[in-house]
Amino acid sequence: MSDPNLIAMAEAPAGSGRPRSLAGDAWHDLRRNKIFWASSVLVLVVLLMALAPSLFTSADPAACALSNKHKGPAGGALFGYDFQGCDVFARTVHGTRNSIEVGFLSTLLAGVIGLCFGLAAGYYGGAVDAVLSRGIDIVLGIPFLLGAVVFSGRLSAGEGDDGVTAVTLTLGLLAWTSAARVMRSSVVSAKSQDYVAAARMLGAGPLRLMFRHILPNSIAPFIVVLTLMLGANIAAEATLSYLGVGLKGEAISWGVQIADAQGQARVAAGPLVWPSVFLAATVLAFIMLGDAVRDAFDPKLR
Amino acid sequence: MFGKRPWKMAAGAAAISLLVAGCRGGDSEDPTATANAVVIGIAEPKHLLPTNTTDNNGSQVLASLFYPLVDFDAGRKPVEVAAESVTVDKTNRVWTIKLKPGFTFHNGEPVTSQNYIDAWNYGAYAPNAQDGGYFFERIAGYADLNPLDPDGAGPAKAPDPTTNKMSGLKKVDDLTFTVTLSAPFASFDSVMAYSVFYPLPKAAFAKDGVIAEGFEEKLIGNGPFKLKGKWEHDDKIVVEKFSDFKGVVPKIDGVTWKIYQDDMAAYADLVDNNLDVQTNIPTDALAVAPADLGERFQNSEDSGFDFIGFPTFAPEYENPNVRKAISMAINREEIASQVFLNSVAAAKSFVSPVVQGYRENSCGEACEYNPTKARELYAENKGPAEIKITYNQDGGHKSWVDATCNQIKAALRVNCTGVPEPKFSVMQEKLKAKQNIGLIRLGWVMDYPLMENYLGPLFTTKGSSNFYGWSNAAFDTLMKQGSAAATPEAQVKKWQQAEDILAQEMPIIPLRFSRNVFGYSTRVANVDMDLFKKVDLYEIETVA
Repeated sequence: MSDPNLIAMAEAPAGSGRPRSLAGDAWHDLRRNKIFWASSVLVLVVLLMALAPSLFTSADPAACALSNKHKGPAGGALFGYDFQGCDVFARTVHGTRNSIEVGFLSTLLAGVIGLCFGLAAGYYGGAVDAVLSRGIDIVLGIPFLLGAVVFSGRLSAGEGDDGVTAVTLTLGLLAWTSAARVMRSSVVSAKSQDYVAAARMLGAGPLRLMFRHILPNSIAPFIVVLTLMLGANIAAEATLSYLGVGLKGEAISWGVQIADAQGQARVAAGPLVWPSVFLAATVLAFIMLGDAVRDAFDPKLR
Repeated sequence: MFGKRPWKMAAGAAAISLLVAGCRGGDSEDPTATANAVVIGIAEPKHLLPTNTTDNNGSQVLASLFYPLVDFDAGRKPVEVAAESVTVDKTNRVWTIKLKPGFTFHNGEPVTSQNYIDAWNYGAYAPNAQDGGYFFERIAGYADLNPLDPDGAGPAKAPDPTTNKMSGLKKVDDLTFTVTLSAPFASFDSVMAYSVFYPLPKAAFAKDGVIAEGFEEKLIGNGPFKLKGKWEHDDKIVVEKFSDFKGVVPKIDGVTWKIYQDDMAAYADLVDNNLDVQTNIPTDALAVAPADLGERFQNSEDSGFDFIGFPTFAPEYENPNVRKAISMAINREEIASQVFLNSVAAAKSFVSPVVQGYRENSCGEACEYNPTKARELYAENKGPAEIKITYNQDGGHKSWVDATCNQIKAALRVNCTGVPEPKFSVMQEKLKAKQNIGLIRLGWVMDYPLMENYLGPLFTTKGSSNFYGWSNAAFDTLMKQGSAAATPEAQVKKWQQAEDILAQEMPIIPLRFSRNVFGYSTRVANVDMDLFKKVDLYEIETVA
């Protein structure tokens, strides 16, 4: 991870006279980072899979025939068939959508909550900060799995619900704390900058200060945290589905597939291995992307 | 392929933890006491008081602690065991039971006819709310102990019974008593083999009609084994040989009923020789069990009957043709071979092949797999576009429910989902409240080998396990006539006519007849299981 930064440090002063923004600097670094490109390609493929699964497979993931039980790869079924005679490849591809959907929506929810808490706590400071920060500490104190099991059970709309909303809300409500803390600390440092003082003297109100001046200059680390959180939330969805408190019923997801296949793993490992590989690759791609973006943005390494 | 290594490692870890546990127990106990004992896996019993025990785990444990009045021979005819004789008068109403002399309870009390009368009265008395209470409903005076609720499920409560003694039970002398039935029933001797008919010692009662506190934890029976210590919940129940036992003496000196929460964990223990008998090899292990256990992987006939019930109170399932169409969409043979690897047989009748009167395909066309006809029939009768099958999550039903749903989906072109509920009792509650939870996964193991034991509890209007609210007056009448008929042959004839009504109406979909699929360790031999899914404790022996 050190090479790209070294290049950046060497090149930045040697660049043209035109001043570059933080984002411009970061993009300059990222362009030269192989890991960034590899993970981006992977993420794009996964996103495409989620948006248009029919580009990858024409098989219906819900059409299962017992007569195909544990059959090997044949025709369109690249990965063979599982215990119920379902096409493992089709199910894995179609499972992408639920995983990505839950991952993105829960991260978005966590981001919104985290942004509000972090911005308010950092900007107002004092008593507001104390109250909000203790609130963050309390949520942070809830053991993740225990909280998730309790919440997703409570939030589920009962029978017929595929659990997507419940899992999204659960993950969003439990995961926002780290984002809020990062946001708060970068707001605190941005608040004391000269341009903020200048804007205030010119008569800008708190909302204008927060959103026009402080936020754009303190959001980078926050976005990095969200990228990392995205990978973690996708993995968390699979965990909850595996434990039987996540997606259920007709919903196809990698966690459900892994849970279904584990009992027969000694007889047929394929149905267990393939969704696990997809899950691991997707989570890895998002985390690597987050890492690369963080390296590019993090001022401490500069 | 995974190969065997990860599995072996997991089993090894379990072995180490057991070894540690074993050392702890060995220090304080006499080491020779358990040398000739076996370990049998069960799940936590719901209850152990005989009149409150209707689940398989409980009745299996009770079979070691108690000695029944009658049992069944190889031909499924009742034979006297604790009873000297069981006879009935010409009206088929008054049964006389004579006990064998010399038997005692584990606390030394002699077994007398009063012990039976006290236990049965306790079981039948409505305020005691015993799960097995309905077994006594044929006895005269049962109604006095179970007054009718004036408004059914409504808010008003049933009045308190005026007496706690059934008028039909009469003590003649210490070893003889008579049972008068409210209506003639020629096969009541078979019914009395069931575990709710065990006697209770005087020590069981704190005062007349009140069970002493903690008795269920420290049961005292009249059987070949006595309880050692007490019922250790969610862990184990240990029984040891009762030296004063006068009946048939088992070949082993004791049984440890080891309680498992997870049947795959039990299977790992079995493969590792830490468990001697697993009475029900989990579906997930069926494919590997022949390789793991070889000759020690066995199966035998049992009386289990698996089926799907319809909420017949729901308007979309009111039409028998809709029910028939769903039944015809299911390929029973394929599920039996692919999911259960032929450890079960496809069912096309409403009673198990083990009872007299069974006919191979009494269900007729409605149970034959015919996807084309099923779809036509379903469309003609406007069946619902969405089918749900509710099942209890703790019983390993997911794989076959999913497979059944896939078949229904493919044949009827409708959506079908399996809906898991955590426990069977949750499903029961919802059905009681007439909530429409869709189709329901159900099963039945007989209590005594008569056709009536399938048809009565499951399909009569007041049947104890008629959870789906099906009611048919003609069926009820035929069942009553059958029970009152003088000979077993005449009984069967009426019951078969009743079964024919079921084939027309299809209140349930027959799916499978199960078998005992069991395995045992290298430490034991002569392991056999009976029709009631119980290990034969008199035959099993240890090998050195």
